[in-house]
Amino acid sequence: MLSKRWVFVALTVVPALAVFGFVNMFPMLWALAASFFEVGAFQPSWTWAGIENFETVLANSDFWASIRRSVIFAAGSVVLQVTTGTALAILLDRKFSFKRVIRAIALVPYIVPTAVLSFVALWMGNARYGIINQLLVEVGLISEFIAWYGTTDLAMLSVIVTSSWKFTIFVTIIVLARLQSIPASIYEAATVSGASRWDRFKDITLPNLKGVLFIVVLLRGVWMFNKFDIIFILTNGGPINTTTTASIYAYRTAFSDFNLGEAAAVSTLLFVLLVGAAIVYFYFFEPSQEVRVE
Amino acid sequence: MSSDAATPMEFWYRLPYSQREKYYNWALNLVLSIGLVLILFPIYWMVATSLMSPEGLFSLPNPLVPTDVTLETYRSVLETDVLLWYRNTIFLAAGVVGLTTVAATLGGYGLARLDIPFKKTFARVILFGYMFPPILLSIPMFIFWRQIGIINSLPGVIIAQTATTLPFSLWLMWQFFQTVPYSYEESARVIGCSRFQAFYEIALPLAKPGMIAVAIFSFAIAWGAYTIPTVLLTSNSKWVLTLGLYSFTQQESVLWGQIMAASTMLVLPTFAFVYYLQKYILRGFRATRI
Repeated sequence: MLSKRWVFVALTVVPALAVFGFVNMFPMLWALAASFFEVGAFQPSWTWAGIENFETVLANSDFWASIRRSVIFAAGSVVLQVTTGTALAILLDRKFSFKRVIRAIALVPYIVPTAVLSFVALWMGNARYGIINQLLVEVGLISEFIAWYGTTDLAMLSVIVTSSWKFTIFVTIIVLARLQSIPASIYEAATVSGASRWDRFKDITLPNLKGVLFIVVLLRGVWMFNKFDIIFILTNGGPINTTTTASIYAYRTAFSDFNLGEAAAVSTLLFVLLVGAAIVYFYFFEPSQEVRVE
Repeated sequence: MSSDAATPMEFWYRLPYSQREKYYNWALNLVLSIGLVLILFPIYWMVATSLMSPEGLFSLPNPLVPTDVTLETYRSVLETDVLLWYRNTIFLAAGVVGLTTVAATLGGYGLARLDIPFKKTFARVILFGYMFPPILLSIPMFIFWRQIGIINSLPGVIIAQTATTLPFSLWLMWQFFQTVPYSYEESARVIGCSRFQAFYEIALPLAKPGMIAVAIFSFAIAWGAYTIPTVLLTSNSKWVLTLGLYSFTQQESVLWGQIMAASTMLVLPTFAFVYYLQKYILRGFRATRI
């Protein structure tokens, strides 16, 4: 009986683990291994290099600068996405007319491809024809057109805001789902006993959101830290490297310098850094009931 | 708030509760409207740009509502390979959604019903799978896919793209099946159902909202896939539409009208999808209790 159950359960798990192993674990292990070799891009020859790749990468100030930009990009994005995303979820979790249409509108960014968003943003922020510039000049907020993605002081901020347009909704979806599972009776009881709106938010809403916000901050932080496509299309790391985050740096090492071993070393270092940060994060902030296991 | 009394707070709290609630709601609706405008405007401007004539595009200031609406841009877009890329995008999305949903549903079920130690650790390992930069997964994929001959092919990209959808989906379905009581299946077993029947007839229908949430999640990623197709698709007859957008950027000029037209074609049909499936997006995540 037990063994038959085992067989069935194993059969269900095998496809997922096979795919996971083939497309996630295998390339990852390959890259971890490659970081100890000198790997040519055009011939599959591996020459043992020991920790040489790591030494080269760690001694390169460009690498550290790119890590710093990734941290800025990830931290800025997480703060912007989590605050606006939570606010939007609270706004949507109320009674109002046209609910179905309005929620659908809020979900639009979820389905808009990153490449489309990037091109639309480049067009809207265009230094000569951009509608954003036209509108801002018209209302008098700026006096002349600005190259939002081409100015060293503004590029990072513009990229953060643009990517948050798309990814904020991820926070909203998860927070809204959690909000809907808070029984209305709790709020009613609090209201009857005289709690103000702020009290209800602080003492009911926030504690209930603690668990989801914990996991959302982690996921968004990791995803934004490794974000590649939107930065690549919007600025390609420019101007003057001001948006060259670690993933852009790794891409260049691999596909412009054709130094696969060193690129693998960069990704290994990023991985170790993120896992380390995640472990520290779990250790210090984990709410008691984060992953429920039967 | 809306008052010119000497102490606004005092005035505010002297208002009846129902009236205060009403003003609160107006204020919150106003904030929500601003948010919706910020979400919709880029989409609106994309569509508006695609309908402008090439001259209208570059004569400033652009009117907020295009005056010289023309389908000229769409005609020139359709003369390119855009429909081929469109078909490739649909094929890729269908493949990724199918593979992810099947693997994540089966796997999520197995993990939820399996009594193994270190489950919690394993849940984290799955999430740690995301800590490796996806752009760098594509390098080993490129080399290995070339060796086994699935480079520059859509099935090859489908498998590769699943790397970005499966970990989260598997984790989601796992969480979801934990909310489906095992006792239902046990009862089914008692009355003589086979293990497979119990799974197929009892657990699966209950897990439908989760499966739809996973399907939507993987669709959204596959439909907009860019990084992995860039690396793995080398000939432009195999391109998906997100890569095809690049064909409208040339050395000296960017054909903004054409890019916006192709983008509109890529984005608009999916809105119906979001409208009709929105409750599943929320319900799927709700059951996960993350």
